[in-house]
Amino acid sequence: MALEKHRNILDYTLQALLRRKFKNIGIILVFTFVIFMLSSILFLSYSLRQEAHLILQDSPEIVVQKMRAGRHELIPINLEKDIRKIPGVSSTEPRYWGYYYDSGAKANYTILGIGTAILKNNRLLNGRMPLPHEKNVAAIGRGIADVRIIKKDIGSTLYLQAADGRWMNFNIIGIFESDSEIITSDLIIISEDDFKILNNMPEGMATDLIVHVSNETEIPTVAKKVKEQFPDSRPILRDEIIRTYDAVFGWRSGLIITLFTGALIAFIILAWDKATGLSAEEKQEIGILKAIGWETSDVLEMKFWEGLVISLTSFISGLILAYVHIFFLGASLFAPALKGWSVIYPDFKLTPFIDFYQIATLTAITIVPYIASTIIPSWKASITDPDTVMRG
Amino acid sequence: MIRTENVTKYFNRGNPDEVIAINDVSIEIKKGDFTVLKGPSGSGKTTLLSLIGCMSRPTSGKVIVENRDVSRLPERFMTEVRRNTFGFIFQQFHLIKGITVSDNVMLPLYPTGIKPSKLRKRAEEILINLGMGSRKDFPVQKLSGGEQQRTAIARALINNPDIILADEPTAHLDTHLSEEFLSIMRNLQQEGKTIVVATHDPLVYEKDCVNLIVEMRDGMVKDIIKKN
Amino acid sequence: MILHPGVISLIIGSGIVLLLVMFASALGIKITRGWDIKSSSEEQLSFERKTYLISTLVQYALSFEILSIFLFIYTAEDIHTLLVGAMCATGSLNANSFGFPTLYVKVVAFFVSAAWIAINHLDNKAQDYPLIKIKYRLLIAVLAILIIEFILQLQYFLRINPNVITSCCGVMFSEKGKGLVSSLTAAPILPAEILFYSLLGIMIANGIAVHKTQKKSFTYLFSIFSFIFFIASVIAIISFISLYFYQLPTHHCPFDILQKEYYYAGYPLYAALFTGSFFGMMIGIIEPFKKIASMTPIILQAQRRWALYAIIGLIVFALIASAPMILLPFKLY
Repeated sequence: MALEKHRNILDYTLQALLRRKFKNIGIILVFTFVIFMLSSILFLSYSLRQEAHLILQDSPEIVVQKMRAGRHELIPINLEKDIRKIPGVSSTEPRYWGYYYDSGAKANYTILGIGTAILKNNRLLNGRMPLPHEKNVAAIGRGIADVRIIKKDIGSTLYLQAADGRWMNFNIIGIFESDSEIITSDLIIISEDDFKILNNMPEGMATDLIVHVSNETEIPTVAKKVKEQFPDSRPILRDEIIRTYDAVFGWRSGLIITLFTGALIAFIILAWDKATGLSAEEKQEIGILKAIGWETSDVLEMKFWEGLVISLTSFISGLILAYVHIFFLGASLFAPALKGWSVIYPDFKLTPFIDFYQIATLTAITIVPYIASTIIPSWKASITDPDTVMRG
Repeated sequence: MIRTENVTKYFNRGNPDEVIAINDVSIEIKKGDFTVLKGPSGSGKTTLLSLIGCMSRPTSGKVIVENRDVSRLPERFMTEVRRNTFGFIFQQFHLIKGITVSDNVMLPLYPTGIKPSKLRKRAEEILINLGMGSRKDFPVQKLSGGEQQRTAIARALINNPDIILADEPTAHLDTHLSEEFLSIMRNLQQEGKTIVVATHDPLVYEKDCVNLIVEMRDGMVKDIIKKN
Repeated sequence: MILHPGVISLIIGSGIVLLLVMFASALGIKITRGWDIKSSSEEQLSFERKTYLISTLVQYALSFEILSIFLFIYTAEDIHTLLVGAMCATGSLNANSFGFPTLYVKVVAFFVSAAWIAINHLDNKAQDYPLIKIKYRLLIAVLAILIIEFILQLQYFLRINPNVITSCCGVMFSEKGKGLVSSLTAAPILPAEILFYSLLGIMIANGIAVHKTQKKSFTYLFSIFSFIFFIASVIAIISFISLYFYQLPTHHCPFDILQKEYYYAGYPLYAALFTGSFFGMMIGIIEPFKKIASMTPIILQAQRRWALYAIIGLIVFALIASAPMILLPFKLY
């Protein structure tokens, strides 16, 4: 019985809203836009963060870099022997990597020289990886293939300028088709030997060393010991990287949302105004309803449904638009503000990532203020005297 | 059935534009009466009708409906009494445009939680009785004046009220339609319903079925004529 | 201070709700001062109309409070990665001394605003507004709690320092630590289970008695038991119910059951517990109103109905809590 009552009032509200579509379309459009912007920000920052987590999951527990005058420098490989002696360390490996600036495409690529290590997720690879000492072959990300290679396929050639100015050519033997393009999109993988030639690296040196620790809880202890034995080294913990990523993404999206509160306030004023400015026709309708047997709380309920229908319509359409914007159109509107802070990435697609928490957050910053701004106007409308219709 | 005891109603009390709309009115209407509240505009008959119909509260005095003092009830109980006891017919019909005839008729009972299917069946029965069966799915703005009047009557009957209140019901109708309206009211009276009409149309108050005329002027009762 | 979307939404939301309830309380004070049920002045009429506005405002505030409890736990969960040593929501809440108090006050705010709405609902059923003064005095209490909540929450977020090492559920809810919570988790499981289920049995018996007779002694007793049962259930969740959900003999976190990994089982679990305990506690709280003539039949009816809601809530809670013990192969002894 009680349920039927709410259903009846909701039915009537929907009918009334449809009768006055044009009155509400403006507010729905503006609200949709506000929600679209806010959820785009949130989706983008969360997916970037999530991508970072995905990458870092498989990354080594500790990376040891050598520092000189506060700057990162090449590290001698023979440190490995001493580090392996620290209790708790299960294995170590040298890494060869760097950036390559492509003046033609105006983009920065990440270049990785592989010795023994092979990326685990090679199911993403179309083709194969270079072998440790194989010459003049490369596996590259889809992003680079699209920018640089005319045929965009395996078998083409990639030209890179070495440190001494000579051009080196690489036969493409593999292309990454990753779900999570942010890792592989700008990646070039070549053999360790080629990497050394390309970058003119001295023998016995590596970019950094990775240290695997089998027991999670011992990571800080191992890091401390590395730092004690080699005061000029910088051990970087995986947790620290995750923390930094999270802080940066959280902070950036928070900042943009804060800037956005201005727009939100403007919207609330609009909503207030719209809710207060009842048309004569609507006023009369409420008068009629009250005269023929509706009570104040019934009219309030009708107004509640009205607000809910308007906000849910806008919420869902804003969310869908934002989803398309971020995950299909590559966040074209404001990607520059959020993702690039040290590297200019070529195009990439994000893995969709949405959860309850993001929805709840969005609800709290959009629907709650909207509903709040309509309470008092709705109440004012609902206390219309039932006998107004008789007084003409 | 309905009794008012020294009912007075002010508007804008205490303000410079204070108006006394009803002044010390005591009347009694019995079950089955066809009552006319007669008087020129501004005489207070509409205000009296809204007080009787639990639409507003008197400033002083008592309104007693079916042995219950309704003059001091909180709004939600006033509405309940109104919804259970009265059917209203307004001067300008006051139908809601854009929805169909049967939706308009069902409207008063939406908040009571009756199943829509049951409610619709009841609305259609009433519409058929009033000869409006073929018009039930018409949008109200496409109806003729007489059809709008009958839709308004159907809406007043949806809650099966004991008392029907009508405010200047014939003001916008020609003689033929007014007669039609009165014959519907007479039928309702014969079914045992109490009818109260506020009007200054002689066509109404000169009818035989009217058995109580309350003549009003300047917010006061000038004369009460009982007929049999 | 962390500039985080969840933090911003909590602060904006709580701020709005605080403003709404402040406005409602101001109206409430005005109404109690000028209230005269016998008067038919325009002022009295406008007071009666304002009661609708106040109840609407409080209803919206309550809905936000419910959302805000989960949002707060989720935000704590989400920011744990920013804090060294925090591995889940518990760790984040321990980052400073305002975390857990904020959560507790949120729960209290939920109960008190729900109680307000329940009392308002009863008051609306009588024709002479018998509870109007009590109701608006209680509203001031709601406002006070919301102010405390807002301040604690703000302090918590302002003082979060991403570099402080915090303990996390691995530490706080493990048996090695000291303090009250740790001693709870260390309690032997079998006696704790026996205690929990016997308490549940007493509750149900008492609830049936209230449903049948609404005697004063039963209703007061039921209220007290409901309160004890609520606390006991939270302890039970930490001490043994969570273990069965996680299928780990050492993981005592009360928040992780809200996660997708555990099929969001925490939502119906806590919803049933909160509803059951709320109606249980309300039964005794409304007992004194029985003395008011116009309220007597209304209170009797409410107690009968609410006792039923309380029993249903508690049984649903117990069923969800017991499901993994019965259905899953994991055993603690």
